[in-house]
Amino acid sequence: MKSTLYYIVAEHLFCVESDESIAALLENYEPFRAAFTEAGQALFSLSVVNDGPVEYVEEWRQDEEGQETVCGHIGPDDSVFEFRWGGRSAGWLVCEAGYRIGTLHLSGFQTKAALDNSLMILFAMASACTGTVLFHSAVVSLDGRGYMFLGKSGTGKSTHARLWLQNIPGTELMNDDNPAVRIKSDGTAVVYGTPWSGKTPCYRNVSAPLGGIVLLSQAPYNRIVRLKGIGAYAAVVPSISGKRWDARIADGLHETENALATYIPVWHLDCLPDADAAHLCKDTIAL
Amino acid sequence: MKIKKGFVLRQVCGENVIVGEGLDAIDFGRMLCLNETAAWLWKKAMEAGDFTADGLAKALCDEYDVSPDQALADVKETISQWTELKVVE
Repeated sequence: MKSTLYYIVAEHLFCVESDESIAALLENYEPFRAAFTEAGQALFSLSVVNDGPVEYVEEWRQDEEGQETVCGHIGPDDSVFEFRWGGRSAGWLVCEAGYRIGTLHLSGFQTKAALDNSLMILFAMASACTGTVLFHSAVVSLDGRGYMFLGKSGTGKSTHARLWLQNIPGTELMNDDNPAVRIKSDGTAVVYGTPWSGKTPCYRNVSAPLGGIVLLSQAPYNRIVRLKGIGAYAAVVPSISGKRWDARIADGLHETENALATYIPVWHLDCLPDADAAHLCKDTIAL
Repeated sequence: MKIKKGFVLRQVCGENVIVGEGLDAIDFGRMLCLNETAAWLWKKAMEAGDFTADGLAKALCDEYDVSPDQALADVKETISQWTELKVVE
């Protein structure tokens, strides 16, 4: 029995069409469920079917901690993303119509992870030209504003967020791994919780005006400096998901990244994993 | 010479920056800041496709009030930076 479920993330509507066994895996999306009557125009739709593999031409592959994503295409307009764990395929996402229509062809292995990856990719690509970006970041809220912590895997984004929660009263975790940010029509930036949060189950349907972005580096001391212009841009870009060799996507992402680097305070924090780092950061960036 | 595939001139916070975005340039991993003249030369080189130092120097003389010798020296210096950074071939 097929069902269609609707969700709203960062004010973007999308839908997932699948059978019940797949729908049962979408628990982390529950806080983002939308009624059908609210549906309107979806940003994208994903259909899930059990008929992998898919033949395609490979363009590029990315390996991250045993998880491999292979990007390619079928025809000139259809993009393919294959997800593998330990060399074994979990599924093939075929994207059509400028990432508005996606079909995930499952292999039966790592179904949940293939589903989450597919929805993240479709969300990031389909929204790239609407002033929306999906960040790799931990984000906390304090006094009604969101503060994002960036850094390479293993730098301590989640640790620094936890230090705020433990040491700064009023802090809440909005998302631990993949928040979305949108530039609104009035030029302000808003950060949103999403159904994707890495290893921490923090799937909160919350949003806040973005108050600052902090790039973290490990150091034997705590020090924070403001980054401006190209320095701010260079800090932000590597933390944003996208397929930059697709020129249309790259243009859309660049526009958002440039707006963030221009209007949002961006900082570089050299830090220890201690309470002083959280206090220094908070006292500097949160007004 | 040619600008390698995948390199794009972007306006970042009001400055001209070369970034690697294409499949062939995705591992560039840095950003190259260009002054106004270098950015102008980049656009000309892009338009030309296959470009030479002499061709760019001539274009520079036509556009700006600069002597042919000075133009050629400037162009050669800019191209040598691009060559060093491997954004041209």
